[in-house]
Amino acid sequence: MRRRVISFIVLSVALLIVLIELFPIMVVIVNGFKRDIDIWSKNPFYFKPTLRSYQLIFTHREFPRSLRNSLVVASLSALVSVSLGSMAAYGLSRFNFKFNDALIFILLMVRMIPQISLAVPFYMIFRSVGLNDTVLGLSLAHISFNLPYVVALLLPFFSSIPREYEEAAKVDGCKTFQIFLKIFFPLASAGIVVAAVFAFLMSWNEFIYALVLTGTRAKTAPIVVNAFLGQYAPLWGQLSAAGTIMLLPVFAVTLSLQRYIIRGLSAGGIKG
Amino acid sequence: MQYSGNMATDPKKRGRAIAPFFVFVLPALIVVGVILAYPVIYALVISLTDRELLYLGKTNFIGLRNYSEMIRDRNFWHSFRLQLGFIAIAIPIELVIGLFVAILFNREFPFSKTLRSLLMLPVFVLPVLSGLTWRLMLQPSYGVLASFFSAISLGPTAWLADTKYAYVAILLQDIWRMWPFMFMIIYAGLSSMPSEYVEAARIDGANFFQRFWYVLLPYLKSVIATAFLLRLIDALRIFSEVYVMTYGGPSNATMLLSLYIHKQAFEFGRLSYAASVAVFLLMVALSISYFVVKRGLRGEIE
Repeated sequence: MRRRVISFIVLSVALLIVLIELFPIMVVIVNGFKRDIDIWSKNPFYFKPTLRSYQLIFTHREFPRSLRNSLVVASLSALVSVSLGSMAAYGLSRFNFKFNDALIFILLMVRMIPQISLAVPFYMIFRSVGLNDTVLGLSLAHISFNLPYVVALLLPFFSSIPREYEEAAKVDGCKTFQIFLKIFFPLASAGIVVAAVFAFLMSWNEFIYALVLTGTRAKTAPIVVNAFLGQYAPLWGQLSAAGTIMLLPVFAVTLSLQRYIIRGLSAGGIKG
Repeated sequence: MQYSGNMATDPKKRGRAIAPFFVFVLPALIVVGVILAYPVIYALVISLTDRELLYLGKTNFIGLRNYSEMIRDRNFWHSFRLQLGFIAIAIPIELVIGLFVAILFNREFPFSKTLRSLLMLPVFVLPVLSGLTWRLMLQPSYGVLASFFSAISLGPTAWLADTKYAYVAILLQDIWRMWPFMFMIIYAGLSSMPSEYVEAARIDGANFFQRFWYVLLPYLKSVIATAFLLRLIDALRIFSEVYVMTYGGPSNATMLLSLYIHKQAFEFGRLSYAASVAVFLLMVALSISYFVVKRGLRGEIE
């Protein structure tokens, strides 16, 4: 009996914490179903659901294209980072090389470089080689934080695969690259999927490089979401609707990859 | 060390191992070299010149003059203090909330798994959107938090227009978003703790606080240290949330270091000066990162 009471109290407290914690997210979702004008003029609890804001953002001059840019940049940077990163993690975990430890150390360390520190040099370098305001340039900038992150995440995954597997494959006459593709890739597939998803998400959420390195053409969605603030009257309804769409992958990832979140987080924190 | 293989300890085999090593590792190293090492060096070099955004003439090498200007720059120190304050206030609060919620969740109760994963959502919310949402909630007259605060007459009507309360607002935003990060890492540490530890203390008659102080905390020490260091680096580079909430204002009240760098570079066009502050921030981040990695590798060996 006492146990049930305690568990009920704990549940109520936990529920309360979750409700408070999710409140701002609810604010975004709810305001996406309001009209801009109702948000300014009515009290915050006035709510008459309408799809007007969603209609507006999908016919918006910039939002649909920026959403496409976001998808392309996030996919491209995740794909390149995972391909090169998984190869590097495999090489670093399997072959003993003189500078191995130093390389691992450096790769793990550079994950933490603040983006703003590189924003200035990236801006100047990209301007001189014509990569400013291009999807490719922005993807490269995103790879610069995603690649070390992927290596850091995958190293322990690869190290934990028993050596007997590749010994067996070697006896069967597999070449090194075949071993990587046929033995390691499938065995580490869980880790690789997690790495890809997290890399995608970090790029999807990224703001600083998008702000500094893109202009009109390669603008990504977070920039346009922010631009709904406008000069004089913030278009909160459209901003919230666009924000809700940006949150969809976040929900999908957080709720489905629960098991791996801690690993993902401790491998490199999150980017602001 | 666990990471490095020992397939090639025999010198004859070592020769054979180097070729595949390069095939696998070199592509990543080249990319990292081009888009990470090169920009870092570029920033270092630029910080030693007088390069400006709109100045088309010759760039001159001026040695450490940007750095000596930085040391004398009152706005830089102002930003630095704001940054330190941000770290010193936000992270301990996040840690304490995270710790206690982790203890709360560290038992069986209905829906605990679902609630736990819901708690993680804010951590992954786009920083920009988080900042914008707080800005919306704090809008005078129609923001929901602003209405609440004015109902209990706490603070001014327009929080983000007040130099003191704008800083509080960016702290609140960060605490809201990031305590679940602390929670998650501490919870993971806690759930790996053998239950006998607490049971034994309970049998010995330790009350909750004694169990907390003498059993839980010592066990969690290294987990907490890791979470703290990770958050520290993260808090050093905070940018987007504040950029969209206040843009560093009002009158520099929330001008954290990364915003100061951005403003110097892209508003005032002082690329080389911004680069020197950026190099400073980079050095601080890398030194903390050094400890994180060292701890991590040691954990790997143990």
